This record gives sequence, structure tokens and C-alpha cells, in this order.
Amino acid sequence: MSDELVLEMRGIRKEFPGVVANDDVSLDVRRGEVHALLGENGAGKSTLMNILYGLYRPDAGEILLNGKRVVFSSASDAIEAGIGMVHQHFMLIPVMTVAENVVLGTEPVKDGVLLDEGAAERRVADMAKTFKFAVEPGALVEDIGVGQQQRVEIMKALYRNADILILDEPTAVLTPQEASDLFEVLRTLRREGISIVFISHKLKEVLEIADRITVLRRGKTIETVPREGATEESLARAMVGREVLLRVEKKPAEVGDVLLEVEDLWASDDRGIQKVRGVSFQVRAGEIVGIAGVDGNGQTELIEALTGLRRADSGVIRVGGHELQHPTTRDSLDAGLGHIPEDRQRHGLVLEFSIAENVALHDYATTPDSKLGWLFPKRLVERAKGLIKEFDVRGGGPLTPAGALSGGNQQKLVAAREISRDPTALIAAQPTRGLDVGAIEYLHRRLVAERDEGRAILLVSLELDEIFSLSDRILVIYEGEIVGEHTGEVSEEQIGFEMLGVQKKVPA
Amino acid sequence: MTEPKKDLVQSPEEAASSGTLAARLSLSQRAGGVAVPLATVILAFLIGGLVVLATGHNPLLAYRDIFNGAGLNWIFHPTTNTAIDGGVPAQAAFNLTQTLLQTSTLILTGLAVAFAFRCGMFNIGGQGQYFIGLVVANWIGISLAGLNSFPHILLAIAAATLAGAVWAGIAGVLKATTGAHEVISTIMLNWIAYYLASWLFGVGGPLHNTDPTQATSPVSNPILESAKLPVIWGSTTLQGLSAGFLIAIAALVVYWALINRTTLGYEVRAVGFNPDAAAYGGINVKKNIIRAMAISGAFAGLAGGIDMLGYLFKYGQLDVQVSQVGFIGIAVALLGRNTALGVFLGAFIFGGLLYGTTQGLTSNVIQPELSQQLTYIIQGLVVLFIGADILILYVWNSRKRLRPRGAARTPAKAVY
Amino acid sequence: MTTWSQRLDNPVSERLRDPATTGYVAIGLGAFAAFLAIPPVEARSPAWPIAVGILAVALGIWTATRGRQRLGWGAAVGGLLGIGLGILATRSGTGNLETVFDATLIDQTFGLATPLIFGAIAGMFSERSGVINIGLEGMMLMGAFWGVYGSDKGGTWVLGLLIGMASGGVLALIYAYFAIHLRADQIVGGTAVNFLALGITGYFFQQFYNGQVSGNPSTIPNLHISGLGHFLENSIGNLSLLTWASFLLVIVAYVVLFKTPIGLRIRACGEHPRAADTVGINVYLVRYCCVALSGLLVAAGGVYLSLGPQGNGTFIFNMTSGKGFIALAAMIFGNWRPAGAFAAAVLFGFSSALALKLQIYSPQASTLFQVLPYVLTLVAVAGVIGRTVAPAADGKPYAKQ
Repeated sequence: MSDELVLEMRGIRKEFPGVVANDDVSLDVRRGEVHALLGENGAGKSTLMNILYGLYRPDAGEILLNGKRVVFSSASDAIEAGIGMVHQHFMLIPVMTVAENVVLGTEPVKDGVLLDEGAAERRVADMAKTFKFAVEPGALVEDIGVGQQQRVEIMKALYRNADILILDEPTAVLTPQEASDLFEVLRTLRREGISIVFISHKLKEVLEIADRITVLRRGKTIETVPREGATEESLARAMVGREVLLRVEKKPAEVGDVLLEVEDLWASDDRGIQKVRGVSFQVRAGEIVGIAGVDGNGQTELIEALTGLRRADSGVIRVGGHELQHPTTRDSLDAGLGHIPEDRQRHGLVLEFSIAENVALHDYATTPDSKLGWLFPKRLVERAKGLIKEFDVRGGGPLTPAGALSGGNQQKLVAAREISRDPTALIAAQPTRGLDVGAIEYLHRRLVAERDEGRAILLVSLELDEIFSLSDRILVIYEGEIVGEHTGEVSEEQIGFEMLGVQKKVPA
Repeated sequence: MTEPKKDLVQSPEEAASSGTLAARLSLSQRAGGVAVPLATVILAFLIGGLVVLATGHNPLLAYRDIFNGAGLNWIFHPTTNTAIDGGVPAQAAFNLTQTLLQTSTLILTGLAVAFAFRCGMFNIGGQGQYFIGLVVANWIGISLAGLNSFPHILLAIAAATLAGAVWAGIAGVLKATTGAHEVISTIMLNWIAYYLASWLFGVGGPLHNTDPTQATSPVSNPILESAKLPVIWGSTTLQGLSAGFLIAIAALVVYWALINRTTLGYEVRAVGFNPDAAAYGGINVKKNIIRAMAISGAFAGLAGGIDMLGYLFKYGQLDVQVSQVGFIGIAVALLGRNTALGVFLGAFIFGGLLYGTTQGLTSNVIQPELSQQLTYIIQGLVVLFIGADILILYVWNSRKRLRPRGAARTPAKAVY
Repeated sequence: MTTWSQRLDNPVSERLRDPATTGYVAIGLGAFAAFLAIPPVEARSPAWPIAVGILAVALGIWTATRGRQRLGWGAAVGGLLGIGLGILATRSGTGNLETVFDATLIDQTFGLATPLIFGAIAGMFSERSGVINIGLEGMMLMGAFWGVYGSDKGGTWVLGLLIGMASGGVLALIYAYFAIHLRADQIVGGTAVNFLALGITGYFFQQFYNGQVSGNPSTIPNLHISGLGHFLENSIGNLSLLTWASFLLVIVAYVVLFKTPIGLRIRACGEHPRAADTVGINVYLVRYCCVALSGLLVAAGGVYLSLGPQGNGTFIFNMTSGKGFIALAAMIFGNWRPAGAFAAAVLFGFSSALALKLQIYSPQASTLFQVLPYVLTLVAVAGVIGRTVAPAADGKPYAKQ
């Protein structure tokens, strides 16, 4: 890594309706370095990078590449200048091949007007060999794994001769092992003189791979530090501006009866592939059981089978001792199962409904909300008022549409509804996805409080920190089977291995 | 179109912000109030007027003649007399009765479209469901001689309503079970109903008339006296306003109550806004899709019923070819923002246009054949402008108010 | 020496053992059962269609039980239909049969299919770029009227064709503005376009021609091919120039969409517009062009209606009467691919041609038979024959910031 500055962003400002995403932000990147851009959700990291990549135009400020001022009016300008971007949500077309995805926009041509598929595949194969990516050029993107898809994204950038690579939260969808592999790739690229900007909100990763770290908070640059000397605590403080509780303080669990029980459950996904394969576990009153696993290993189908959204192939589900036979969503709700879904805007709330109507989402058909099919809106409003107060939901009153609330308040609304129904067992799936630290803290504290009151809680999360912080018992799911069960002390490395299906015992 | 394959790596935020049809329509309703539909209509009439002007006619006079043709000049000299010899006031009164007849039909076809929209579905099949209602009402109307008036009418109306419900229900069942897009299936069902009705009423068809003097005319038998709806304004010999108007008004009330005060309405709206959340809430999405389409079709079938029993009394192949009331219902529903009051006003405007540009028109400024096309142009413009929320976006510049904050925080690109 | 199991382990063999193959064979047999009873085979005994039809039904049920339910039951129904039609045909007089099923049936099939081919390919381009185009009906109608107008005032059918196509293109651009720029709901917008076209063509038809086109505007010539022998000459020896153009269009559309870079980009815009945007493709421009193109193409189909062999230079109010929607159906039936859309359009053209010919039996039956394309489309949309997969981003407006 040299001291030569390959990229400088000075005084960048970008405003959207109602929010200043970047406020006088500066960033500089040296040649051949891995520079991490760290910040919470909403800090402005992605906005800054989208500006660099030409997708947005800054309201003020300038960008210098190798000392020369540049202005990008579109992504093609940035690509031509040698900037490549790997997005958090892949920009790949599932029904097209790897080669087609890589060459899209700069396709090789034969006979003047026809697409040269052969040349495309050959070039992709060459690149794969050079950088040791194991990807078939002719494979359909929808058929290859997530780690491989990410490599296709990187190849897209390299194909266009990028020498600055922007990676937006690249490890969000990877297992710890795949993340390791990615870091190896990044080190190779760095050796080749390619500079990398690595956007993340994960402290551990950043400390592992970055040479220098820039922290953004609420649209402003807070500090730029070299890796040496930085710690998780110092970075967290810079990110949030105050001391952050990285773990929730909780007293030891006092467990009671089994309130949720699953025995040898099998379930398939929409394509008929069995995703849940003989899962069994119990959740008792007063404990939080956390299920850790990489996305796509059956967690979604497991929850859908429990909540009645999907018909299990076989197996037994018992809520409060009462067995559920192929339940519908109605059945599982009536049986006493509460569910904070992982996608609150899609599954948890009807954004166009008022808060009051959303609160009634499960119970609108029962008295006192309605009788014999006739609805009483006043009752809905009454109930909503109470819950808004209890759960400190801010942003509006009972008649405000749910869509007008912020993410954190929406999630509180969902939690309020579910908890107020006094469910026998509560399932929380990715409960803090996309929330800021303040909201996360609130929800974590609330879940622990419920657990102290004796509720049985099943937590499913992709964030290992969350699992470790909240769970009394940790189960690991891999390819639809529970491959590990841990109470008490266990290392993240052990969990990480189990999430990959490796049955190696690592000393705690 | 069958539901498109979900993008495997689409972010959840993108999925949420693309929004359902019901959500967009309700959003524009909240943001625009009543001023927007009003402005839309005015703009459409303005552009229509420009077309008239460009082809050498005086638009102001043309609109005045259409206004009179619709009987709206009745407000200047109200009377209940509709006799031919009653002079201008009576003529206006008569025109008004005819406009209200059209309004009744359009209220119902408009409600059909509106109800489906509330459940997130686009029922373009109102025309076909209307035809089915007509056919069934005619069939019962010509049969069962000797029955008393009240049960005869009741039976015919009920059957027509049910038939419309079943016809639309086909599309609902297809959507619920196979995911077939209701736009395509209702369009297809429209044409199937079209040819079915043509065949039934045509020469040699099962419902063809039995009058030897009319043997070559592709028209049905007229319904029996006992099946005719009573006239509430005007004379029975010269097409008066039938009780169908009252039935239409009642339907408006039923619509409002269903949507806003019943659990059925709650479920239908939830499914329309967010089927995923509705499912998680314990609502049976498939059942509601079928229910909503069926109720939607019931309104349209009822329209056929009151028309047949109220003033048509018989129907022919040629009538099938020119009928457009189902489609105008789309404009009515959109203009009326899928609310009961809105549908009423929209139906009145288009009812006036429909009659005022055709049979009601006495004008040396513009011929009926020409002005009739004006109705379609205005209709097209209204639907176009409303579909684009154009007036909201540009005249009111409320882009910020339009997007719910949830979506603004999760735009279709990564911000975090 | 290879063992039996090794010999069976190859791609061809796997295909043959796939239940889907049996399903398609069953459908084919169902059609064949009906085919047996009509000229040129003209089997007179109902035993033949019954036998073949039963085999079709059996294979269909076998397919259904092997996991391909929709395909299997669809094939079984097809087999029953084949038996029914075959029996009907054997009961009809051979004289009538031969009048209906002769070489001119093929000529009429292609003739009636021509506007559908134009429409289906037009719709395909629009939807492949991600924009639903329900307004095909209206754009076709514009082409029909303004084609006559252009030919009448311009003196030659070429001018008529150009002006007709341009009118469709203009309407398409208006629609594109609302759908792409203003991000209006595309189905509502398409419906509006249909109303507008109805009103505009009706209005000016009345204004200029008072409801009847007088004089004889120049019409599109047919392509005469002689020396082919009796059958071929009656079937394809006298097709319109535009019909041959439509065949060419199908091939060109295939090459452009699947073998050129621009086709790749169009498809990218329809599958994942954000991905296309991030590699520098101008999604708005691509979509605008595709929608405009679809307007031009479908309007050409409309010009064929009025200036072609069926219209002969006349126009009547609402001349398209649903053909735009059948074209849309053909596109869906054909799974958004040129070859499929072409096959579907020909199939629908065949059913319309058959409906016309069946008037020999009874005019009422003919009216009823006209519903066949619509019923077939309902069946297709319900996914009885395989699953139709639209472009992933079809109908979703794209918002660039």
C-alpha cells in the first residue's frame, strides 16, 4: 500500500426530501489499500458511495481521481473512470448466465451486430482462472450459490478494468467461512494494486480486513483512523456518539413448562425441495431460544410451518401442550402463537391501514372489535390508544397510517400487537433488521423483559451478536437440521463452524 | 399475465415500495381530496373542447347543447311534467329522467369496478357481467307468466345479480387457484359473454323472439308486464325513470357499509393493500379474492337486471355490439376514487355525457354521431390523468405528501 | 460393453422418460384424434378418433399421476375433446367437411393471424423491456383508421401504411410518457389508451367520412406465387404482402432479442432494471423505444385490417373488436417468445378461420365458435399447459434517483 492518493472526496453534500444524507463528508483512499467506511444504518455510507459510482449527483463538493477533478453524470462515467461497485443487494439477472451478466453493457460483438457469446464466455473463464473463482460462465445465476453470485459481481467490476472497488456490506449474506474466503480475495486484489472501499457496520470484520477506517455518523465524517490502535469499543463510540451496550444485561433464566414444542418436523419450500428436515426442539416458559444459521438453511420455512403459512410435510407442533394439525395462520394464532415477522412492511403491517386497524389485524373478527360481521371502529381506536402509550410508539395517533411511522416505531407497533395478545409462545424473526441502535436496544430490552415475565420466546436471527446477546440456549440450523445445541458458554467460532455444517469441536 | 417470478435477490425494501394498486389509488385519494377529480374532469373537458374547436365546431355551444341534452338545464326551470307537449321545461325534465336512467346503470358498473379495486384487483369484466345479468333478467322476465309483480321482479333481480357474481367469480377462482391475472381473464370473459349474448338473442338463438313479424330481427322477446319495474318519475308509455334508480342508490349505501363497517370489508381492504400481511393476520387471502370478485360481479349483474326490467325490456344483437357501460364504469370508479359518494357523482357526470351526446342532443353545432365520440375521448382522458396522478404531481406538487414515510425511508436503492 | 442402465443414462433418454414429454405427446395425440376425421384423411368410422383419443386420455392421466398434474389433466381433456370433435366430424357430410377443410382454410388462417402476429410481437417487445401494453387494441385501431386515411389522401397504400404506423407510434409515445415518466399504473393507462383510440378514430371517422369511406383507397397487394401445385397455391400462393412481412418480423424479432447486444439489454431492463442501470444502460430510453416500437408494429397490423384483403379499404367503427386483446393473449400463450407467440397467433387465426367456415353448418354455431380464442387464452392463463413466466420486472415502473 503506497501513500499515493487514488481517490479524494471533499465536502460532499447530498440532500433528499426531509433528510441530509451527506453533510460535508470527506474521504480519501490510497492506492492498494482496503479502506473501511463504517457507520450505522442511515449514516450515509451508501449514499456517499452511490455518489462516487455516479448513481447520484452531489449537491455540493468534489471528487478527485488521481488528483484530477471528475464529474460523473451516470454510472457509465464512473465505470469508465475505473470505479466498480458490488452492491449489497446483487444487481444480477437470475434468468441470465454468468457470462451474460458480466458483459452486460459492454458486450463483445461479432459480424458487426450480433452478440459474441463465445468470446464472452471465454473472457469470463479466463478471469475466473486468474483470480481462482470457481464459477461456470454458462451457469444461470439463479442456480449458483450466494457466495458465487458475489464473485460474479466482483468479476463485473474487474471486467471493466476497475481499479477502485466499492463493496457495500458484502458479508451480509455470507457465512463466516465465506466471509473469510472473500477477505482472501480482497487481499489478492490489494496486492494487485486495486484499492477497495469496504462499507460495513460490523466492527469485527472491519478490524480484520481494513487498513484504515473512516467512521460516518448521521451524514457527517467523524474520524479516519488506521487499524492499529482502533478497538471495537472506540469504533462503536465513534459510530454512535455515546457508550453503547454491546450485550444486554440479563439475569439467568428461570425456566418453566414447555410452551412450544416441535417434533421431527419436515417441510418443503415452493419448489418442493425439503428445507426443514426432521427438526425437533422445545421452548420453555421464561427462556429465549435462539436459532442461528445462514439465511436459506430452512429458518424461513420452519417459521412458516409453525405459524401456519406453510403446510408441513410431517411432524408434530405443540403450543401450550395442544397439538396443531396442519394449521392455517388462523389456527396458529388462535392456538396462542405470536409472531414478530422478519419483514415488518410486508408481513407485519398493512401500511395503508391506520395504527388502530393494524392493531386489530388478528382479532378484528372477534368481539369486542366486531359482532356477527359488523365492525366497531371506535373499539379499535380505544385499544390502539392504550398500546401506543404502553409501547411508546411515536409518530402519530390511532388514526395515522402505519406507513407514516419510522422503521423503529413500526416494529414497536408490531411487537405491541403481538405481545398484547398475551401469546403462549412468541416467535421473533429478525426483529431488529434495519433498525437503528436506539430501536434495537429498546426491542432487546423488551424481549428480555417478556422472558423475565415467564414468556417463551423463539428467536431466529441472522445476526450472531443478537443471538448471543439474547439467547439462553442457542440452536444451530444447517441445511434444515439442528446440528448444534448450546447452553452456557460457547465461542462464536464454534457456532460459525456449525452454521457451515462442520462438526468440529473448538475449545471455548 | 401470471404473476411474475419474484426476483431472487430483490431487497425487501424494493418489494414494499413498489406498492399495490389499491395502495396507490387510496394514496392519491387521501392526498388529493375532491378537488383533484374535479380538476381532472375540467381538464378532460377542456382538451375535448380543443378537439371540437380544431375540427371547426364551437366547443362552448357544443357543450351547452350537451348540457341541455342531458337535461341539466332542468335546474333552471324545475318541473315534474315530462310530457311531449310540455315545452322546454318538460323536455328538460324528460332528458333528466333519461340521464338518471344512465346514471343508475353507471353507478352499479362503477361500484363493480370500485369494489374490486378495493381488493387490489382490476375488474375490466364489468361489461361481460352486465351482459350476463341482462340475459338472465330477460330469460326470467319472459318466463313465469302469471306470477305476481313483486316476486317476479325480485326473482329476476336476484338471478341477474347472482349470475353476474358467478361470471366474475370465474375470474376470481382462476386468480386464487392458478394465479391467473384477473385483467386477462375478465377481458376474455367479456368477449365470451359478448358472443354468448349475440348468439342467444340472434336469429335462431334460444332467446330469440317468437314474434313472426320480427323473425329476421336479431332481438329478444320483451319481458312480461309483471316483471317490469315501476316508474317513479315520468310516464310509463314514454320511457320514465324506473325504480332501478332507487335500487342503485341503495347499492351505494350497501357498498359503503360493506367496505367500512363489516369484517368482510376489513378483510377485502387488507388483502387489497397487502396480501402478505393479511395472510399473516389470519385472513384467508384466496377466499377473499373470490369473494371480492363475486361481489364486484354482483353489482354489474344487478346493473343488467335493473336495465332490463327498468327500461330496455328486450335486447338485441346490435345492442350488444354498441354497449359500453361496463367500460365507462371503469372511468366512473377511478374518478370517484372508489368511494360511494365519488361513484355517484362520477356516474352522474358520465351518465349525463352519455345521454346528452346521443339521443338527448338537439344541436346544429355538432351532430350526435360526432359528439358521441367525444364521450369516449373525455373518458379516456379522465382515466389517463387519474391513472397517472398527474394533477397531484404537477398542479399540487405534493410529491412529498404522496409517498408514505415508510417508503421514503426505503427507496428502491440502498441508502444505508 | 455398456450395460443397459449405462445406455439409459444419457440426456436423450432422460428427456424421453420425463413425464412432461409424455404429456406433450398426449396433447398431440388428442389433436391427432380430431385430425383423423377431417380431410385429407377423412376417416369415416368414429372408431378411429375414439381409439386415438382414449390413448391420449390414458397418457394424460399417466402424466398427471407422475407429478405433472396440470399438463396431464390438460392432455386428458384434450384427448376427450379430440374424441368429441372427431365424432362430430364423422357425422357430418363429407361434402361439407371438404368445403370447410380445404386449402383456403390455411390461406385464411394466415390472413387472420397476421394482425395477431404483429400485435403479439409488438407486445413482446414492450413487455420484454418491462412495460405492460394493454393498449395494443387502441394502437391497432389507430393504425386501421389512419391507414385508410393516409392511403386515401396520399394516393398509395405505402403512405397509408406509414401514416397508420406513425399514428400507433404517437399513441404509444403518449402511453410511454404516462407509464414510464409519470409511473402511472400501466393497466389503467393502457385501458385509457383504448378509450382514447376509440374516441379519436370514431370522431375523425365521422368528421372526415361521415361514417362511410367513399372512393377506393389503394389497398395492400397480395404476393402471388404460381407454379406450386394446386394445394400450395390455394394455401399460401395468394397471401398479402404484409402477411409475409409478419413472418419475416418473427425471425427478425428472435434474432434481435436473443442474439444481439441490444436484445440482451432490452431483456435486462425487463428482468432487473436496476441491474441494467448500474452497468450504465439507460433504462428509460430502452423502454421508451420498445414501447414506441410496439406501437408502430401493432399499428401495422391495424393497417392490414383496413387496407388488407379483409378490409379492402374500408373502416368501420371499432374495427379491431378485440383483436388487440387476442394478440396480447397470443403473446402470453407463447410465453413471451417470438416462436411461441407466432405459433399461438396462428392457432388463434386458425380458430377464427374455422369459425368463419363453420357458418356453412349454421350461423349461430359460428357465432358461438368465435369464443374459442378467448377460451383457449383463459386455459393458457390458468397455466394448464406449462407455466407462463413473464419478465420479472414487467409492469413495475422504474424510479431512478
